[in-house]
Amino acid sequence: MDTMNHIAILPILVPLAGVIANLVMGDLKSNKLLRLNVAFSIILVLVSILLIVALAQGDGTAAAVYSLGNWPIPFGIVLVADRLAALMVLVTSILALAALLFASARWYNRGTNFFPLFHALTMGLNGAFLTGDLFNLFVFFELLLAASYGLVLHGGGRNRVKAALHYIAINLVASFLFLIGVALIYGTTGTLNMADIVRAAPLIAPENRGLFEAGAAVLGVAFLIKAGAWPLHFWLPNTYSAAAPPVAALFAVMTKVGFYAILRLWTLIFANGQPEEFAFGQASLLAIGFCTVAYGSIGALSSKALDRLASYLILVSAGTLLLAVGYDAPSVTTGALFYVVVATLAAGALFLLKDVIDQTLPAEAQVLAVSLEFYGDEDEQLDEDEEVSPTTPAAATVISWCFAVAALVMAGLPPLSGFLAKFVMISGAINTGETPTAATWVFTATLIVSGLFVLIAMVRNGINIFWTSLPDGAVRIRMLELVPIVGLLGLCVVMSIAAGPALGFLADTAAGLHNPASYVTSVLGSGAAP
Amino acid sequence: MPTELALTLIWSLPFLAAVIAMAMPAGARNGEAWLAGTVAAVGLVLTILLFPQVADGGVVHSTITWMPAYGLDLAFRMDGLAWLFCVLVTFIGLLVVLYARYYMSPKDPIARFYALFLAFMGAMLGLVMSGNIIQLAIFWELTSLVSFLLIGYWYHRSDARDGARMALVITGTGGLALFVAMMLIGHIVGSYDIDVVLASGRLIAEHPLYPVTLILFLLAAFTKSAQFPFQFWLPNAMTAPTPVSAYLHSATMVKAGVFLMTRFWPVMAGTDMWFWIVTYGGLATLLFGAYAALFQRDLKGLLAYSTISHLGLITTLLGMGTPLAAVAAIFHIANHATFKASLFMAVGIIDHETGTRDVRKLSGLRRSMPFTATLAIIASGAMAGVPLLNGFLSKEMFFTETAIYDPNVFVNLSLPIVATLAGMLSVAYSIKFVHGVFFGPEPTGLEKTPHEPPALMRRPIELLVLACLAVGIIPGITIGPYLAAAVVSVLGGDTPYYSLSVWHGFNLPLIMSIIALLGGVAIYVPYYRRLRGIDGDPLLRGLRGQRIFERLLITATNRWARKMVSVFGTQRLQPQIFIVVLLALAAGVGAGWARMGNLPLPSSFDPVLGLVWIVGGVSALAAAWQAKFHRLAAMILMGGAGLATCITFAWFSAPDLALTQLLAEIATTVLILLGLRWLPKRLPVPEDISIGMRLRRYRDVILAAAVGLGTGLASYAIMTRQAPEGISEFFLANAYTEGGGTNVVNVMLVDFRGFDTLGEITVLGVVALTVFGLLRRFRPAPDSADRPEQQRVQADFAEAQGSANVAADFLRIPALIMNWMFPVVMTVAIYMFLRGHDLPGGGFIAGIVMSLGFILQYMAGGTRWVEDRLRILPVLWIGWGLLIALLTGLGAMALGFPFLTSAFAYADIPLIGKVPMATALLFDLGVFALVVGATVLMLIALAHQSIRRPKPASTPQPRKREGLDTWN
Repeated sequence: MDTMNHIAILPILVPLAGVIANLVMGDLKSNKLLRLNVAFSIILVLVSILLIVALAQGDGTAAAVYSLGNWPIPFGIVLVADRLAALMVLVTSILALAALLFASARWYNRGTNFFPLFHALTMGLNGAFLTGDLFNLFVFFELLLAASYGLVLHGGGRNRVKAALHYIAINLVASFLFLIGVALIYGTTGTLNMADIVRAAPLIAPENRGLFEAGAAVLGVAFLIKAGAWPLHFWLPNTYSAAAPPVAALFAVMTKVGFYAILRLWTLIFANGQPEEFAFGQASLLAIGFCTVAYGSIGALSSKALDRLASYLILVSAGTLLLAVGYDAPSVTTGALFYVVVATLAAGALFLLKDVIDQTLPAEAQVLAVSLEFYGDEDEQLDEDEEVSPTTPAAATVISWCFAVAALVMAGLPPLSGFLAKFVMISGAINTGETPTAATWVFTATLIVSGLFVLIAMVRNGINIFWTSLPDGAVRIRMLELVPIVGLLGLCVVMSIAAGPALGFLADTAAGLHNPASYVTSVLGSGAAP
Repeated sequence: MPTELALTLIWSLPFLAAVIAMAMPAGARNGEAWLAGTVAAVGLVLTILLFPQVADGGVVHSTITWMPAYGLDLAFRMDGLAWLFCVLVTFIGLLVVLYARYYMSPKDPIARFYALFLAFMGAMLGLVMSGNIIQLAIFWELTSLVSFLLIGYWYHRSDARDGARMALVITGTGGLALFVAMMLIGHIVGSYDIDVVLASGRLIAEHPLYPVTLILFLLAAFTKSAQFPFQFWLPNAMTAPTPVSAYLHSATMVKAGVFLMTRFWPVMAGTDMWFWIVTYGGLATLLFGAYAALFQRDLKGLLAYSTISHLGLITTLLGMGTPLAAVAAIFHIANHATFKASLFMAVGIIDHETGTRDVRKLSGLRRSMPFTATLAIIASGAMAGVPLLNGFLSKEMFFTETAIYDPNVFVNLSLPIVATLAGMLSVAYSIKFVHGVFFGPEPTGLEKTPHEPPALMRRPIELLVLACLAVGIIPGITIGPYLAAAVVSVLGGDTPYYSLSVWHGFNLPLIMSIIALLGGVAIYVPYYRRLRGIDGDPLLRGLRGQRIFERLLITATNRWARKMVSVFGTQRLQPQIFIVVLLALAAGVGAGWARMGNLPLPSSFDPVLGLVWIVGGVSALAAAWQAKFHRLAAMILMGGAGLATCITFAWFSAPDLALTQLLAEIATTVLILLGLRWLPKRLPVPEDISIGMRLRRYRDVILAAAVGLGTGLASYAIMTRQAPEGISEFFLANAYTEGGGTNVVNVMLVDFRGFDTLGEITVLGVVALTVFGLLRRFRPAPDSADRPEQQRVQADFAEAQGSANVAADFLRIPALIMNWMFPVVMTVAIYMFLRGHDLPGGGFIAGIVMSLGFILQYMAGGTRWVEDRLRILPVLWIGWGLLIALLTGLGAMALGFPFLTSAFAYADIPLIGKVPMATALLFDLGVFALVVGATVLMLIALAHQSIRRPKPASTPQPRKREGLDTWN
């Protein structure tokens, strides 16, 4: 077992060590505690970078296969760090670092045990991305959910508790469905290793095929709940907008776990290259994706407050990703992978930004968004004719630029990475076949129109915040809170500039995804033969 | 200088300068102006220097690699058309910079103005020089975005905000349409390279995707160039500072639409669809704009509608599809930019010097501002199409084209008639502008005394008017070669012969011009008093695009969107869970229904087990039934269901599972019971027996039964059928030889799938922390703060009997026994732990046993009593438990094996005997510590409720979250 493979487990072990360190050394002075946790987060980012760099050396199908307990595959649990997993781990780690820095400013001590829960959530996320075992996936889902329950409650208050209890209830049901799905799949294939399931799936006895697909469908419902798909996502806007901002920021990657699981398992088992009778679920994915985008965009239009708007944007991106998965073409998947990175980072930044804006704005500003438009603002008539623009304080300028960048990325407007992602997805869809099909038109129209809706919603909120509500005089912002936001959005900008190489990497990743045989070989071929 | 560098500098310098301008100090007016002016001048010079290379249809390129795999690179190309636009953008940009230096107030945050101005210049240059059609869409959208910020520059004014938003929504929509259109063109042609596209001949126009491509394409062009029916955003954009209006909304940005149509004219024009939409869209705009301009009292409004009208003229020309019309269109683009920019600046001066732009308040300014008046009059003459001015030439060409015979009677008549009519109107509004502002009596009631502006502020207008004259009088020399270059770049080999001379003889177009001039006078003279007072045209005043748009936007976003969100979504938990369960059922049944295979009845049936199951099932049903109002009963019933599961496990020879289930069942029941004590009492309300409620309950029952049936059937099928050849055989075969234990379940937990266990114990620890965090903040509700009813009754009874302090002795005897049991429980826990690897037991079971010991102590002695004697520090137990497990795994890694690889040996411990000492045992120790810690932490969280003060009697109002109330 070479070193590269050992790296594969570190993104799980580093946060675990973080959890332990916080529990064992819980009575540290606050600045030492902060330094300790930031250190863990930085190490995690470094480890993730190391992993992805190691994988980028090989071709698109390279994967680090790590057999836990050194048991022969497929009997023991196996971690499979391929490019997709490594990418998601990196996004998670970066977002986690940003959220953790942000929380260090003041949010961390609004409740107990923020840091251990936070690290546990990252551990769960990374584990879910890395594992190659269906039941182990369940375990990590449980871990990230358990930690998220605690984090939603962080900060307390009636709203949070109410939203959190809804969230917990729905997700307990989802876990139950997950378990039923896994049980049916295990019962019909006799194995839990994902690659081994791919191997076993065509061999399932005909009378068990129905059970297997029922299991997959129920499992799919569980994933769709996590992914924020309509009509299973009504808990999401409430939960995300009620959660403490750094928590909500990290949650931006949580819906992507559902997306990841669907992308991973569906492309492995049911999509491309499977014989007709085994292909399954594509129409449902497209329909659900469409409904999710539609609902999310309309919800975004109806949102008055920025945190709610950001929550609906999460739905829009979730739906976009589901549509892209359902489209089942490597070029579209490439764009979707690009999109998942930038949309996650920008959405995270938006949740953090919302908190910074809240601190600078008078409280009533958030309500006025729509009513101002409608009724006009009478008391402003006095200086109507004065043709001198207000001077914007430097800090406010920085925030407004951050907002603008986030808005452009989320709406998918030129010239930033959100646009490039949509470009790659749509051009992939249009150029996949000889002539565009109905699915192509729906896909294109959905992406474009949702972008327009998001633009309108963001413009309205932006105007309301920066053009009507900013108080006069200098605005004070904590550097510790500004740096993560600027960092996340800066990455989105860098992704736009370095789109060429990034897309090259992602295209290889997508090609690997659409070639399940290579995944199976790299897992089953690297250990003992089954 | 190398051509590529020059091209790169032309578009990139403005962006770089924008960043610098942003960073400059607030008061640096002159610095900003110098910076912007220098950038524009450098751009202009570089462009002019490039002319020889593009003069005869030449094209220069520069490419920066960006996303080559997707055909999207930063490609810039300069041909004649791009060159003409670059000159317009940089030249007028330079003049506007100079003008703005004097126009903008010293109090304005000028850095933002110039930064945005420069960014716009860069975007516009990038747009016209785009060598890649996707990149063109990018710069297109950039101009919309920057224009939004510039229109909203005075964002404290609500009309500026509204105008900015409207402009962005309209042009942004167009930009997205353009993006799709460009991708479709790319699909048709097979490349996003504009050279390839332009060389594709009739490929696009004959492709089946042409109609949809064209619609999207024209949507973009029409929105940007304010063509009917999207014209309404432009007058509202006039809330921008005048330099912005002059630059963006007359000379450059609104020309992007016609630029686009010109650029793609060779490959997209010439079809019937193009002809009808573009020509008549343009014609409608031409007429409407001229008509509406006549009734404006705001001078900028007048110019805005005039701009719309002239853009309509250009669009009409492009629609006609003849090469000569295209020549005229390009010519008019340049002419319009010069005279309209100068007029905007003149209006800006008037506004600046008199304090108003209202034509009703202004008159006779020729006396106080003679120079400005002269300049504005000449420019207006160009706008009206007076001979010897540049506007006349292109208008004449327009008339020529409209007058060409067309076999279609409607076309043959409508084009020249509408053109002449619009010409009359434009003469009329030009006269209104000149006469209303500069002639007549001295103005009265102005805020300021009008006088000439600083000479430098007038200089840009002088230059532009000079250009109008020069082009108008000696067109062949002044504009001839440049126009030729632009025309050749568009038309290539199809370039027709055209003449730029002023006098073409006495022909039909000239007659049309004369009619227009005379007709304009005839319209204005009789009605000028009435026109002066009017605001908005009498016919279409009620039908204002702006109003419709605003209403639609508000209604759509505020009312419809909210309605949709509430119709297609829900905030309530029960419907959500219903949907989740329903969908899961539908998914499972839908996927599995057809291929379930047959389900034979079991060959044998054990009545005892059946009885156990019936008891368990009834208990579960009854628990659900009782859960709402009788929590305790429900708890007990749930215990019954759990017990049935335990018995089933034991029945099927899974003692380890049975034991675990039993202990977990006990621990959770006890903890929940402890928690129940603090829940507020739930009083049964009168039964709601409305039909709706009943139906809902039936619905829920049916769903629950269906799900239960489905799950049951699936489980039955799985359990009765031959299991597939899977991984389980391996575990049975290797548990002892490889894992060192005969208890396969335990070996699986700590070894084969130890990583799962590591995850699960982390989950348990996290859950404990969550429960602790949640309950730490809770205070008992007022009605549960008092002693429980049973204790109160007993105390009252004791008081009545006269015996004191019964409560203190409450449960004395059981408590004593519980105290004594503590060491026994501990011993059992250790025993369970050690034997775990071979016999039922293990860290998890031992942990629960141990924590039950602690629970017993708390129950017996009370929180204070226990914590006076015993400090448990459960968080540390959790931490150390995880640490031990982690270190066990890391130990293997240190030896070069994968995480959690186990090793085992036997150790001979006195009294106990031979004990397997697998590293897995160490791992199990971690599990044990964590389970103890987690359970006790939850216990403590519950127990501490009793030593807290209850909530204050008046429950504090929940803090309202702004904006949420309406939909929560």
